[in-house]
Amino acid sequence: MNKRIINFLLMMLFIVLVGGWIYTSVRDEFMKQSGASQRRTVETVTAGYPAEPEDIDGWLKRLAEEANVYRVAFIDEIPMPGEKLSKTPKGDSELSKLIESSASDSEFSKGFDNAAYEEIYRSSHNWTVGANEEQALFFAPAINSRTHDIDGALIFSFSTESEQGFMRMMNTLFVAAFILFAVVIWQLMLSRDPIVGFALAALFLMTLTFVAYPLFEALRLSFLENGKFSLSIWKTILNSEGYMSALWGSLKLGCWTATFSTIVGFLFAFVVSRTNAPCKKLISTMGVLPVISPPFSLTLSIILLFGNNGLFTRWLRVIGLDFSIYGLPGLVIVQTMGMFPIAFLTLSGVLQAIDSTYEEASLNLSAGRFKTFSSITFPLAIPGLLSAWLLVFTTSLADFANPLLLAGDLRVLSLESYIEVTGMNRLGHGAALSILLLLPTLTAFLAQRFWVAKRSYVTVTGKPSGRITELTTPIVRRILVTIIFIIVFFLIMLYGTIFAGCFVKNWGIDYTFSLENITEAITRSTDALFDTVTLAAIATPIAGITAMIAALLIVRRKFHGKRLLEMLLMTPFALPGTLLGISYILAFNHAPIILVGTAAIIIINYVIRELPVGIEGGIASLRQIDPSIEEAATDLGADQATVFRTIVLPLVRPAFLSSLSYTFVRSMTAVSAVIFLISAKWYHITVLIYNFSENLRFGLASVLSTVLIIIVFGAFGIMRLIVRENANLMKNVT
Amino acid sequence: MATNKSKSVTFDKITKIFRDPQSGQDVTAVGGVSFRIEPGELVTLLGPSGCGKSTILRMLSGFEQPTSGHIMIGDTDVTNMPPNKRDTAMVFQSYGLFPHMNVSENVAYGLKLRKIPQKEIDEKVAKFLDMVGLGQMAKRPPSRLSGGQQQRVALARSLIVEPSVLLLDEPLSNLDALLREQMRVEIRRLQKSLGITSMYVTHDRVEAMSLSDRIIVMKSGHIIQIGTPSDIYRDPVDTFVSGFVGKVAFFPCEVKGIDSSGCAVSVKGQNFTAPRYSDKLKVGDKALVMARPESLSIGEAGAGVEDGIVTANIYLGNSVETWVKTDLGNVLVQIDNPDVKKIWAEGEKVSLSFDASLTKVLVDDLEQA
Repeated sequence: MNKRIINFLLMMLFIVLVGGWIYTSVRDEFMKQSGASQRRTVETVTAGYPAEPEDIDGWLKRLAEEANVYRVAFIDEIPMPGEKLSKTPKGDSELSKLIESSASDSEFSKGFDNAAYEEIYRSSHNWTVGANEEQALFFAPAINSRTHDIDGALIFSFSTESEQGFMRMMNTLFVAAFILFAVVIWQLMLSRDPIVGFALAALFLMTLTFVAYPLFEALRLSFLENGKFSLSIWKTILNSEGYMSALWGSLKLGCWTATFSTIVGFLFAFVVSRTNAPCKKLISTMGVLPVISPPFSLTLSIILLFGNNGLFTRWLRVIGLDFSIYGLPGLVIVQTMGMFPIAFLTLSGVLQAIDSTYEEASLNLSAGRFKTFSSITFPLAIPGLLSAWLLVFTTSLADFANPLLLAGDLRVLSLESYIEVTGMNRLGHGAALSILLLLPTLTAFLAQRFWVAKRSYVTVTGKPSGRITELTTPIVRRILVTIIFIIVFFLIMLYGTIFAGCFVKNWGIDYTFSLENITEAITRSTDALFDTVTLAAIATPIAGITAMIAALLIVRRKFHGKRLLEMLLMTPFALPGTLLGISYILAFNHAPIILVGTAAIIIINYVIRELPVGIEGGIASLRQIDPSIEEAATDLGADQATVFRTIVLPLVRPAFLSSLSYTFVRSMTAVSAVIFLISAKWYHITVLIYNFSENLRFGLASVLSTVLIIIVFGAFGIMRLIVRENANLMKNVT
Repeated sequence: MATNKSKSVTFDKITKIFRDPQSGQDVTAVGGVSFRIEPGELVTLLGPSGCGKSTILRMLSGFEQPTSGHIMIGDTDVTNMPPNKRDTAMVFQSYGLFPHMNVSENVAYGLKLRKIPQKEIDEKVAKFLDMVGLGQMAKRPPSRLSGGQQQRVALARSLIVEPSVLLLDEPLSNLDALLREQMRVEIRRLQKSLGITSMYVTHDRVEAMSLSDRIIVMKSGHIIQIGTPSDIYRDPVDTFVSGFVGKVAFFPCEVKGIDSSGCAVSVKGQNFTAPRYSDKLKVGDKALVMARPESLSIGEAGAGVEDGIVTANIYLGNSVETWVKTDLGNVLVQIDNPDVKKIWAEGEKVSLSFDASLTKVLVDDLEQA
């Protein structure tokens, strides 16, 4: 019972702290706004201060007649601090009285002091003017427009009634919310499963705040103009040839990349799972490797090789070939190299699951090898091919890093929204463009999930057979393997180029060996590297554990709103990073939650973005585990938290570890969302790579890319080692 | 040993209603069930699948919460107590062993949660593993044990925490026939020696008969009969119970009279007096005479109450089971001491008769069923 009360008090303390933080940020925001509008009034009025002293009385009189929101008084001097006035104030009589009686007050001294420096000052506390309490005082300089001298000071008083009313309303609201929270929490504490209740409440709160709310804000802003509902942003975008060509560019790029990636991916998958080709291990390793290569790395090496000063560009120019790698063709090459592993992984899963008995039956019925391929293997793989195409298409559309360096004249949406936000400071346009990008992405994503995936024949037979049916003649096989080796060689060359780039003095101009780039890059990136690792390291365990908890609740618990929670948790997976980044800066740069510029916003962004993959892994692995194992632990006296710690987490360890390493790596290599969220205080190494590349410091960029590659591969390597150690154990989880 | 710790279990008008996720309709899994288990008693819930027996077990362990009613363990109302706070221990059908712990870690789990000193835990684990005959296997992972051994680990893991109530959820259904028989004996031995109140769920009548102090027969969420195994076998309340707990033949009859010696009936003109009868019967009712295989005998065609043809003889050593095809259906007759009795050949025309002193007269409810 005591423990329960302590827990309750701790929880309430947490709520008071968070609530207090939101309370002050809302209050400050409101004060700033209401203060700003009063200040504007003061500025406008002060600007009308007459040049001739004899006009002052009339001017003040006129103001008193016109104005009903403020009162104004004027003194023909700037009194010395702490001294009494030597002249009587003019204007509003009640205000003048107050000025006379309180002129020596420190608040007034401050006000006069500011006025002497031509600044407007708002009193830090409220005053009583005549019968009106709670008036805010403004001190403004009275500047003679002819002589530019400060004639004296203008003192304004504003009613703070609306502010007071707002504060009262807010106080009531917050107290009510606090009581509500207290009651709900206490109820939860008394329930049978308090921990589950809290976990669910926390997940709902988290997804609503960090998924639903930012997206809503982005959508809202795209329909706003000057604070009012308007379709003008959307009209501009949909009528603009430039923006439409960006949409077209994105789609074109997506189609090309998806098509080429699917072809290359199928080639790899086919050779690995349907032929007796040599070096299959190398082929499948190289088929997966690029998926974890950091952003910019492939682009960077393409630029180093084929850019305007590239290694090969010169030779090609010598033989009369003039071309530019910047633009659609270059982007398609880089994206294909980076994204065909997605197709490869999808398709090798599909091909391995197609029972080769079918092919054997076909061969047995004396169909030729090509006939067998074209009438059996290929038709069975079509849903897989579609699936792979759509997945790559989505990825290509959302891709931000490659176009950033390589787009040239090609306009693509992800880039366009970035330019709108950071270059033009048109947040609404940026939001609208990234929402526009969401449409094809989401369509493809949903089509893949719910239509193509369901049409697959693959799961019908279930068990993959161990044997391989050779489906190629030796000549065909040799041709296929040759093509694959050319691609593999090209990939190795790309990675090699980055590595080489570290040791060359000035790529494209001076190819002498040098270590200068390395030392310079290290010194200039230490802070950013530290930030990047710190943020990723904080986000990783949070995302991993949250993912496992969410998976556990989804698989094992019945509760209302389960579909909604699943949807909210999974949504970020289908969102382009630029949209997520933009909606975060839109949602969290104003009250009630101000996070822009903090480390928290970056960490939260990582967690939210990488959760879906972890959750999916957790769900898959929990579905394999007999629920009675957890029930047995509960039955023996373990509470939910203990069951999670001692039973669930060890059992889903492979999924947990891969979620950890995935989050870490993805956070280390994030660009598209994080580029909007970084600040001078919290920087990201990928953005630094981009900056270096933009300034043509390719050597520095190469060094940082290499560092990232090493970190990424290291993280995956460590994870694999740990998982393999547990492989024997995990085999037995039924 | 821990006899003084044993507690009774009381179910008081327990109802459990589930909501079917597909149709959204309410399904009554358990409808107003009341019973009491005495301290140290082993009671079996017996019934076909879907009768609500597992739901009752899960409500007692706390994994399900009753829609209405109260559950008491001893004098404590546990209706709203979460499973981890209840003094029950469950042996699961699929064992639920922790695959990432070895045998002794599995058994020690409950004790560790109770913050017992490590030395004491080690001693106790060794003792309980010896008790279930797995002293040699302490360091093995569960996956390297046979099904029967895994079941023993699960049993030891539950018993070591000295629960007030031991719950067994079809614990033998994943074992082969021979092992099942061994484990049955083993479970009964341990339960008796520890004097632990137990609730056992099964759909296997042999298991229920051989293990239980009392059996609760259930059907579609309701208790049909509570009684000792022999009560249930010899004196079932209706045709469902009689058919569920053993082979049985029913002979249509008419009630002629009811007095202190029993119920007088006529079967095809022959008069019998059965000592046991359903108290709902009145003189003149159409009823059924329930006869078990061992109370039936075979004679020349026309000599008994029902004629038929022998279709099969199954030799079991100490007895022979003879199947006779009659107008009432296929009837099983058990002939004990086959070496000294006549065995009728397959295809022979025979007649069935029964020893009325071993029968019971039941209400004819076969039509509705």
